[in-house]
Amino acid sequence: MALPQAATPGLTRPRRLEGRLRPLALRLTALALCLVAGAALAEEAPPRPAPPAVVSPPAASEPGDTSLSPECRVPGSQLYTLARLGAVKAALKEKRPVRVLSIGGTSAGLGASSTYPVKLETALERSLPDVDVVIEARGLPGEIAGDAAERLRSIVAEVEPDLVVWQVGTHDALARVELSAFAEALDDTVRWIKSHDIDVVLVDPTYTASLATDAYYTSIVNAVREVAVREKVPLVLRYEAMRYLAGRSDKGAEGHMLGRQFRINDLGLRCMAEHVTRAITLSLLQPETTGGTKEPPALKAQGRGDGAGDGKAETKPGPH
Amino acid sequence: MRDPNAIDFWRGLALVTIFINHVPGNTFERYTYSQYGVSDAAELFVFLAGWSIGIATRGRDGTPEPGGRSVLRLLSRTIEVYRAQLTVMLMALAIIAGTALLLDNPLILEWHNAGGFFADPIQTVVGIVLLTHQLGFFNILPLYVVLLGIAPFFILIARRSRVAALIVSGGLYLISLVEEWNLPSWPGQGDWFFNPLCWQLLLVLGFVLQDWNRESDTLRRWSRRLFPLGVALVLLGIGLALFEIRPDPLRVPEPRLLFTFDKTYLTPARLIHFLGVLLAFGPVYGLIAPWIGWAVAYLTQLGRNSLAVFSMGSILSLGGQLLRFWTGGGFLTDLCILCLGLLALGYTAWFVEWRSRKPRPRV
Repeated sequence: MALPQAATPGLTRPRRLEGRLRPLALRLTALALCLVAGAALAEEAPPRPAPPAVVSPPAASEPGDTSLSPECRVPGSQLYTLARLGAVKAALKEKRPVRVLSIGGTSAGLGASSTYPVKLETALERSLPDVDVVIEARGLPGEIAGDAAERLRSIVAEVEPDLVVWQVGTHDALARVELSAFAEALDDTVRWIKSHDIDVVLVDPTYTASLATDAYYTSIVNAVREVAVREKVPLVLRYEAMRYLAGRSDKGAEGHMLGRQFRINDLGLRCMAEHVTRAITLSLLQPETTGGTKEPPALKAQGRGDGAGDGKAETKPGPH
Repeated sequence: MRDPNAIDFWRGLALVTIFINHVPGNTFERYTYSQYGVSDAAELFVFLAGWSIGIATRGRDGTPEPGGRSVLRLLSRTIEVYRAQLTVMLMALAIIAGTALLLDNPLILEWHNAGGFFADPIQTVVGIVLLTHQLGFFNILPLYVVLLGIAPFFILIARRSRVAALIVSGGLYLISLVEEWNLPSWPGQGDWFFNPLCWQLLLVLGFVLQDWNRESDTLRRWSRRLFPLGVALVLLGIGLALFEIRPDPLRVPEPRLLFTFDKTYLTPARLIHFLGVLLAFGPVYGLIAPWIGWAVAYLTQLGRNSLAVFSMGSILSLGGQLLRFWTGGGFLTDLCILCLGLLALGYTAWFVEWRSRKPRPRV
């Protein structure tokens, strides 16, 4: 365990994974240049500085979703799985305001305009022109495997929303509750919300490097995915999206006095409203007949040190 | 230092239960009585607070102290509890932030409502001082501050008429349930986790029943007669908890809070279950105390120093949660947390009593 180092974007000191990441093309280009300049000169040339630690984005062929702001751009396959949102569609058809209950995690709905619920309302209203979106935001202290499931039912009964956007799993993961208890309670609660003709969008827990190798944490993220698939509700792949953003170049990004993970976490909070809005608006385009969600591939906890092997993960393992 | 008694014993038990239940997911949680009923240790804690106010605002011979003195006494206690809340909140936020830094894990900042503070400290620090921003598991003391703050009002009414105090308190409770009144959270939306407008009934009930119990043995006689009803309610609570039977808040008739099992509003089902627990367990202390002297000594010492023990328990349970997260949990970790926690709670109680016995140093 150590205190995190300050982020140093574009840093050039040798890194463990650098060798694997340095593209072959770069070396070939260097060789060609050397040939042009003459062999003797090439031999005396100072060693080429190591390129900044850029991890190529996964599924290189798939571009980031351009409807998102550049800093939040993630390919769709790593951002959401879609499903029908019947209750919201009905509200749109009836031309009445859409009531959204944003719950859990950072949903406490603090008043500042930069906070997630305010951003979510703005982003949804921008994406759904001429629609009035009313966000009710609530924190949800406690674990779903514990009392929070009951508390959530009371809040839903109180607010009577058309849609519940639920950031789920963080508290249970922090409490390391039994995985099966978490999955069962989550499934029960989602089924209960749906049984009252209220739509649900799940948001899985975020990614951070120090938990990339934590099999339990990954299982919690997978459990959320499984419930989303089973209950046919849209899912914002917050973990996957943040892993993608974490793997992008630091070039041009501002530093963070508390280190890289904290900067990425801030970025995640800034992007969440956009990501959730994207999943909702695309889910609204789902045809009536299809109800199923395409199952995202299950996550595996990364072995220590092999994080960048699949091109998605951190190049710099978090200090332990 | 007062002698061991049933009130301090049960309060000590409530404190230990709250400590264990505030480390969610731990192995020993399933052995606490909170898991086997509709109500839990919070009800016991608040009811006993009311009962203790009854004892504290009268002399040994039962004559009430002057009204002004009681008001000052409660005001002073309110300030003490408020100070404790601010201290534990600050420590909790520092522990959360410190752990996030040490483990290089910003996820920890999202711990039960703490994210609000780290995302928006300007408004949230004001909310903390106003008690309108509460962390999960740190929401009993704000309730207690408000209850102690309004207690003089009910006590002064009860001095004239206990029935009048109960009517005013019950009326406020009912109207809050029907109209869904609660104190607001700020910054942000939502309400208090423990609604003082409803939970005040339990405090007033504790205070009034203590007064009645002191005056005549009618209450004791009736509790003996109603003992089987208490046992039946406890058994019913066990059945409902084990089979997870509870009303669906979207299917019950209006006003829905009269029918649900909601903790925030202390709904009637929780209140009735708690009264059943009181009836069933009221006589138990007298029966078991001679056999478990060590436990009585330990729990009554905790009960005598409830504020310090509760505050320390809140911090320790947060530490326990973070330790479970860091180590991955497991039986051994849970056992360590339980043993160290119980030792630390006992030490806190002992230390407070030791300090009160020592002459204060002149600085």
